[in-house]
Amino acid sequence: MKNGCLIVLVVTLLTSCVTARIEESRTASTGLNNDEALVILGRASYNDRQTEESFTDCLADALSTGSEPIRLIPQAQFKDQLYPWFEPRTAPASSDDLARLFAQPGVQDRIEASKIRYLAWINGDTVTTDRGGSFSCTLSTFGGGCLGVTYWEENASYEASIWDLQNLTTAGEISADASGTSYLAGLILPIPIMARPGNAACKALAGQLREFLQTDEG
Amino acid sequence: MKWTAVSLVVLLGLLTACTTNVVVEGSVPTPLVARIPANVGIYYEEGFKTFMHSEVLKEEGTWNIPLGEKNLSFFRNLMTALFDSVVEVESPELTDVQKANLDGVIIPKIEKYGFLTPNISGLKFYSASIHYRITLMDSDNHKVAEYVVVGYGKSEGGTFSSGQALGDATMLAIRDGGTRIAVGLGEHPAIVSWLAQREGEPK
Repeated sequence: MKNGCLIVLVVTLLTSCVTARIEESRTASTGLNNDEALVILGRASYNDRQTEESFTDCLADALSTGSEPIRLIPQAQFKDQLYPWFEPRTAPASSDDLARLFAQPGVQDRIEASKIRYLAWINGDTVTTDRGGSFSCTLSTFGGGCLGVTYWEENASYEASIWDLQNLTTAGEISADASGTSYLAGLILPIPIMARPGNAACKALAGQLREFLQTDEG
Repeated sequence: MKWTAVSLVVLLGLLTACTTNVVVEGSVPTPLVARIPANVGIYYEEGFKTFMHSEVLKEEGTWNIPLGEKNLSFFRNLMTALFDSVVEVESPELTDVQKANLDGVIIPKIEKYGFLTPNISGLKFYSASIHYRITLMDSDNHKVAEYVVVGYGKSEGGTFSSGQALGDATMLAIRDGGTRIAVGLGEHPAIVSWLAQREGEPK
C-alpha cells in the first residue's frame, strides 16, 4: 500500500502540466450503429511534416476500448483493401472527391462489405517550440553524476475531418491543441519531469470524436 | 594499460565500421483498378529479381538494402491485376507460339535506388526513392512505350531502429511506384493508342 502511494506520488511529481483546448464544428447529423465501422487515417504528405503513426495508434486504442467501443478498421488493412486509392499520391483531398473515388471499380463494394460508415482524417503533428537551459552528465573513474536543468516546450495541434461514406459528405471537424513544458533536472541523478501534449491531444480528440459520432445531432 | 588501449581501438573500430543490413518487408496489396485489355508477357531481368543496393556512408558505415525479392513479389501481384492475362517469359523476344497468344511484352527495370538518413537530410525521416522504367514491346519486339516513374517513401526512425526505418521507407517507395504504375500505365498516351490500334486490327 505504502509502495503504491509512493509510485503515485513519484508519477505525479514527474508529470508536468499540459493545457489542452478542443473545438468542434458540425455540418451534418451523425450516428453509428453497432455493426458500422470507423477508419482513422493519418494524412501523409511528401514534405517533412506528417501526422505521426503513434498519434493515430493512440486514437485507435482510445476509441476501440472503454464502455462504448467503436468498431475500427485498422489503417493498414483499409489501405491494402483499397490500394491504390488511399496512398499519399492518390488519397481524396476532400469529401467532394468521394463520388469520383466510388466510381472506381470495386471501391464502393469493398467499403460496403466492411460496413465502413465514417473516415476520420487526422492532420497535424507535435513540434518543439522552445528549448533552453543547460544540463550535463559526467562519468569518471571516481564516479559520475548530472548537474543542471534543461527544458523544452512542445505544442501538439491536430484536426480530425470526419467524412460520412454513406452520404458522401463531410460530417464535421474537431480540432485539439495541447501544449506543455518538460524538464530534465540533474541533481547527481537525472530527474525527468515530462509533459506529454501529444498524449493529451489524443485523449481529448478521442473523447470528442466518440461523442461526435455516437450522439445523433442535426 | 595496454589492454585498455587495445579494447578502446577495437570498440572504436566496431562503432565506425558497422554494417546495416536492411530487411524490406510489408504487405503486397492487389490493386483495385480496371484491367488493361491486353494479354502480355512479362520479362523480369535477373538484375530486377535480385536488385540490391549497397552504399558506404562516411559517418554511418555500410548499408545493404536487398529489395529485389519484395519488389518482385509486389510487381507479380501488380501486373497480374493490371492486365487481362500475364505470363512470365524467359526472353523479351517471343517465340512463335507466344506471339500467337500475347499482344506484347512488359519489361520493368529498376534504374536507380537512393536513400537519405536524418544525418544527411536534416529531417527526422529516413527516405528512399526508386526510379523504375517500364517498357512495353509489341509481339514483334518493337518498342511501343516507355513509362518512367519514381516511387518515394519515408519513415520515422530512431537511432537504434535505423535499419527498420529504411526498410519501411523502401517498402513505401515500392508501394508508391506501384501506385503510379497502377493508376498511370493504362493512361499512357502511347499505350492508349497501341490499344486503340489493336482494337482496329482483324482478329
